Amino acid sequence: MCGIAGFTFPRGLQAEARRARFGEPLRRMTQALGHRGPDGRRGVLLDGVGLGHSRLAIVDVEGGRQPMRDGATGVTLVLNGEIFNHVELRERLERAYRFRTRSDTEVLLAAWIARGAACIDDLNGQFAFAVWDPRSRALWLARDRVGIAPLFYAETEHGLAFASEAKALFAGGCVRPALDLGGLKETFQLWAPVAPHTCFEGVRQLLPRSVACFRDGRLEVRRYWDLDLDQATSADRLDEERGEGELAERLEQAVRLRLRADVPVAAYLSGGLDSSLVCAIANRLLRGTLSTYSVAFADARYDERIHQESMASHLGTRHHVLEMRDEGTGALLPDAVAHAEQALLRSAPAPFFALSALVQERGVKVVLTGEGADEAFLGYDLFKETKVRQFWARSPAAKWRAAPLRRLYPSLPALGEGSAALLQQFYGMGLDRPERADFSHLIRWSTSGRVLRFCSAEFAARTASVDPVARLLASIPPRVHGWRPLARAQYLEMETLLSGYLLSAQGDRMQLAHAVEARFPFLDHHVLEFAARLPDRLKLRGLREKDILRRCAERWLPRALVARAKFPYRAPVAGVLAGPAAPEWTREAFSPEALRQVGVFDADKVRRLRAKLAALPASASESDAMALMAVASTQLLAQAFLGQRLARPRWEGGPGEEFVLEPEAGAA
Amino acid sequence: MSTRELIRAFIVEAFFVDEFGDHESFLRTGIVDSMGMAQLVAFLEETFRISVADGELLPENLDSLERVTAFVERKVSRSAA
Repeated sequence: MCGIAGFTFPRGLQAEARRARFGEPLRRMTQALGHRGPDGRRGVLLDGVGLGHSRLAIVDVEGGRQPMRDGATGVTLVLNGEIFNHVELRERLERAYRFRTRSDTEVLLAAWIARGAACIDDLNGQFAFAVWDPRSRALWLARDRVGIAPLFYAETEHGLAFASEAKALFAGGCVRPALDLGGLKETFQLWAPVAPHTCFEGVRQLLPRSVACFRDGRLEVRRYWDLDLDQATSADRLDEERGEGELAERLEQAVRLRLRADVPVAAYLSGGLDSSLVCAIANRLLRGTLSTYSVAFADARYDERIHQESMASHLGTRHHVLEMRDEGTGALLPDAVAHAEQALLRSAPAPFFALSALVQERGVKVVLTGEGADEAFLGYDLFKETKVRQFWARSPAAKWRAAPLRRLYPSLPALGEGSAALLQQFYGMGLDRPERADFSHLIRWSTSGRVLRFCSAEFAARTASVDPVARLLASIPPRVHGWRPLARAQYLEMETLLSGYLLSAQGDRMQLAHAVEARFPFLDHHVLEFAARLPDRLKLRGLREKDILRRCAERWLPRALVARAKFPYRAPVAGVLAGPAAPEWTREAFSPEALRQVGVFDADKVRRLRAKLAALPASASESDAMALMAVASTQLLAQAFLGQRLARPRWEGGPGEEFVLEPEAGAA
Repeated sequence: MSTRELIRAFIVEAFFVDEFGDHESFLRTGIVDSMGMAQLVAFLEETFRISVADGELLPENLDSLERVTAFVERKVSRSAA
């Protein structure tokens, strides 16, 4: 992946005038994304648009320079990410277009020249790109199907500005940084802002699976792909064995495509089924030469080191372990938040920030990960919870049984056996309205929504009209409301947590902070579309999650390793921020003055919350821990972008090549 | 402070809620979650010197300010009798 940035400006300016007025903002924007790509920072000023690119060179290291321009049509583009099927696409395009390089960027350029925006349907990849097409006199922006590659934009006095990260929009002077209270409120309740909202005022994110056209001062956004999660019916009798075979083929193909690179590809190994399977497939394709990387925790409650090591030794990979201590996680949070550019309810991004630093240090630019399997194959507890609650809602007369819930959440309450009725009461939330689109997420959002109790009266008043759940539900295509509950749950999970948090705050932003590109075989759209066609019972068999995937995995892994249940990845929170190991920055961030200055949280409630968590860190409830994390990250966000830190050289490039403004700028 | 006021004050303090109705379900509205219930029961046992048996951990006894107050008052008067 790389960083892209750019903006429109009035047409008809002489090349000299363009350079004088817009050269420096373009340089600053491109440099602000320098951490994403140290291998070249280049820009071009055309008649009416400036495009900048910070490059992480992975395919055709020599020839893949950007911005890339076609002399005949004047079509010019900047691409962040990868078109994995560029080899196949190139064969189809070669008759009509003479390729000068081996890069996937040029394949996209040729495809665009041939088919315009319709070419996106042919792309298999993770990408965000901008195309200046003089034929339509428009600036086009597009983003991949699941939202792996980020793309932000803002309206400016000259039209439109865009960038891979919001910090570039600030650095270029396109937007004055300010917190967006509605976006924050959405984040506190739903874990992520509802796209196109962000945590910053005036900064929007392009919806995943969308293409936007900016022409004559107007932006039109269109979704080019959708995943129909409700197509598997009982009539669709897919033969199980054949299903397993086809899944195995598609997965192997997805991994094979993602090993395409002119630099070595490594993998993250969490110890769970999904990343183990990806590693096993990749290692076989690479004939046993794969390197693996893992995060381990000094705190044994979160540590999966034993499983990681047994998997790595089974596969025979060159394994690297990064051990995180509470102090380490705490110390990294300011940087993690500045890269994530959103408020966080978990500290989990910080260890990934550290891991990508280690990967970079070892000279690796590309890693495979197991992200996406839980969404596609119903791996999360939330899906089981939905199934249990759905059963309750359908059988109100039957005696409810808490047994399945106890199996789901064995660690839940310290209340003893008699508490079954209380558990049922809590998990019975919303049972009277099972048709509601948010039925599956009521419990989760009730827990995270408690963060709002800590907000200041002023914040509450100013966001009184913002109902995050209502906003989200209003943004959902109408047909989704008619889907069966598990399909709706999957849709919401992909819409909020996956693209809004896991792939961004915990994904792209943490990897690219150290110029590491993560690739996700499970998010290949051929895998996603196949998974969507499978009946639920092949994914969630009873309460056994990812059933077909487990059986499929036995083609690559011993049964005993496959059988291990998922241990959800979590990083310590309360101990990090409230305990004796609390980092130095918390003193300032949690000070009543700083809290009042930022204005989002109530200083007195934050003080009481910290006291509560410091006294009982071990028994901290999930919502209390989330609240403290929300406070900390909001304060850090304000500090990083509204305070003085932006002026520091941190967003002024970092190590890497100097910015070059292309000499052919005047040509188009 | 009355029993009701004491319990209300505890809930406001421990769960950071500002306002809630006497009859509002703690669990169905998320005022208190299932973890929080353990905290609430510990508070009741300590403050009112009562002992809550497993069989009494029921929504009928605990799932609103109204219900908790009545439950505690029943327990206290019974142990006083």
